[in-house]
Amino acid sequence: MEVLSPFSGKLIKVLVSQGAKVSEDDEIFVIEAMKMETPIYAPCGGTVKELKVKENQDIEADDILAVIE
Amino acid sequence: MRPYFEKMDDFGRALKEGEIKRAEENVKQIKEVEAGIDALVAQAKKAGMPEEKINERGEMTVWQRLEYLVDPGTWCPLHTLYNPADNKEGTNNVFDGLGKISGKWAVIIGFDNKVLAGAWVPGQSDNILRVTDMAKRLHLPLVWLVNCSGVKLDEQEKFYANRRGSGTPFFRHAELNQLGIPVLAGIYGTNPAGGGYQGISPTILFAHKNCNIAVGGAGIVSGMAPKGEFDNAYVEDLIDKTRHFKSNPPGTPKVHYNETGFFRYVYEEEKGVLDGLKEYMKEVPCYNPKFFRVAKPAEPKFSSEDIYKLIQFEQKKVYNFDEILARLVDNSEHMEYRPDYGPEIYTGLVKVDGFLMAVIGNRQGILPKGYPEYADYPGIGGKLYRQGLVKMNEFVTFCSRDRVPIIWFQDTSGIDVGDIAEKAELLGLGQSLIYSIQQSCIPQMLIVLRKGTAAAHYVMGGPTANDHNAFTLGTATTEIYVMHGQTAAVATYSRRLVKEKDAGKPIEPIIEKMNQIAKEYYENSRPAYCAKYGLVDEVVPMKAMRNYLVAFAGSVYQNPASICPLHQMILPRIIKDFKTIKERQAK
Repeated sequence: MEVLSPFSGKLIKVLVSQGAKVSEDDEIFVIEAMKMETPIYAPCGGTVKELKVKENQDIEADDILAVIE
Repeated sequence: MRPYFEKMDDFGRALKEGEIKRAEENVKQIKEVEAGIDALVAQAKKAGMPEEKINERGEMTVWQRLEYLVDPGTWCPLHTLYNPADNKEGTNNVFDGLGKISGKWAVIIGFDNKVLAGAWVPGQSDNILRVTDMAKRLHLPLVWLVNCSGVKLDEQEKFYANRRGSGTPFFRHAELNQLGIPVLAGIYGTNPAGGGYQGISPTILFAHKNCNIAVGGAGIVSGMAPKGEFDNAYVEDLIDKTRHFKSNPPGTPKVHYNETGFFRYVYEEEKGVLDGLKEYMKEVPCYNPKFFRVAKPAEPKFSSEDIYKLIQFEQKKVYNFDEILARLVDNSEHMEYRPDYGPEIYTGLVKVDGFLMAVIGNRQGILPKGYPEYADYPGIGGKLYRQGLVKMNEFVTFCSRDRVPIIWFQDTSGIDVGDIAEKAELLGLGQSLIYSIQQSCIPQMLIVLRKGTAAAHYVMGGPTANDHNAFTLGTATTEIYVMHGQTAAVATYSRRLVKEKDAGKPIEPIIEKMNQIAKEYYENSRPAYCAKYGLVDEVVPMKAMRNYLVAFAGSVYQNPASICPLHQMILPRIIKDFKTIKERQAK
């Protein structure tokens, strides 16, 4: 399953690494936008197959952040 | 209207394991602040003489009196840390709160007889005026425990006179009487001059046998120094006179029960006075709650302890306001008003202890794409935009029309700014909300959940709405300031930085000042500061918020000055119709 950025901003925290196992609702990213930090949670449990972003990267809405299998 | 209110829409969900685990540090941070507030409260309560000393004299302390007077489990303290003049005694010398006496809600206030025998001190009159205002707004009896030695003479210039000085409460007592709101006073100890008027200005006076109330005290042996200043000869004479001076205080029950009859009752025991107040409270006007309840009282489906895990201590982190609200209202049910409009603001009807209440609160997080509709930039919760302001104006107006009391929750960073926002009329809509609140005729209360910032703190039912805001609560996460400290530092020093830089001067001193201003803003916006200087009326634990909602609901529906028959309300029908239209459109 693809994890999409819900809005544009700066990805300030990447809390998982490729290959990591995650549970549904684990906090996996934090995006800063409009001076506020918004956590992004794993939409499902599984393994992080692909990690498509790095910390401090600017992102746009609907960018793919990760793929969880 | 039973189908509208008996079962409303469910909202909220149980926390997941991951959420609970993630919140551990957050819970710790909040509870640390709460423990700090608890310590300050304990210190304020202990001010003055020890309880044992007072008891040795055969007297009860104000806290012992309150404990005996108030029905167990109903006391909701207010202004406990309010000490705006920073008195060295650590208190403004009155304590107050909402509580039930003989099953009925009252606003209750007492002088702290441990400190200077309950003297007037700086900052106190403003506390008393907050309390008389609250009795007026909630249309509740005001119950006094009078024990007031009069002016603290060496600081009289700070509070004796003035528009909101220590004499003003006597006019407020008269105003309450004019409005049909009784002021009951239990009177203890020596109450000369100002203390005398504290005693005489209420409606019915319940006196302890050892008390007195009088225009002035008997302790003044002589008048002014005849030579215009004091010298040795004068003070030697004064010492001699004082040694031989004996006088009974004027205005004891011998005069004011037997002669004037000002005291309705006199009691041998201190507790007798309180029993007298309890007896009279049984007789004050009070509807049976069933007259106004729209459903059976019910606890929220989710624990109030969850709030510690939901609200974020770090001000930059977002959270779900609806989940917090679901932990405060009966059965976690609501009827949301216009959920698709003004998404940064929650407006809805809920039940608290079975009574119908309205809620307005800031939602957090990034707003849906395309909102605000007038701008090309994204919207963020906590900020106010056009639709949110319009929605609040509508909702307050309908609540006023339907006589539904409002509970506000603030966590706001302000109203959207810039020319685009000005074209969208936000300045005018903010003031319109102030107008809507001011022309309403319903009591309101506010909880500053986290940020109270800029004009948004005013327009969202803040304490500045003095005629309507009965009280404002803070929490461990409250911060109140005109803007964030870092923003203020930039606003103050950015031009200066340019000047210094261009002049080739070192900029480090400016950086130091910027950090200093940011630090000061932080310290002067924190919960303890807000409580001490009256920016909020009490800082309450997260888990106690519902107690105050229950007290507020019970108070406003106890003997309302104005009512709207349930079946003549318009707001629930509007909510229902919006929902029906939306459901049809979805099909």
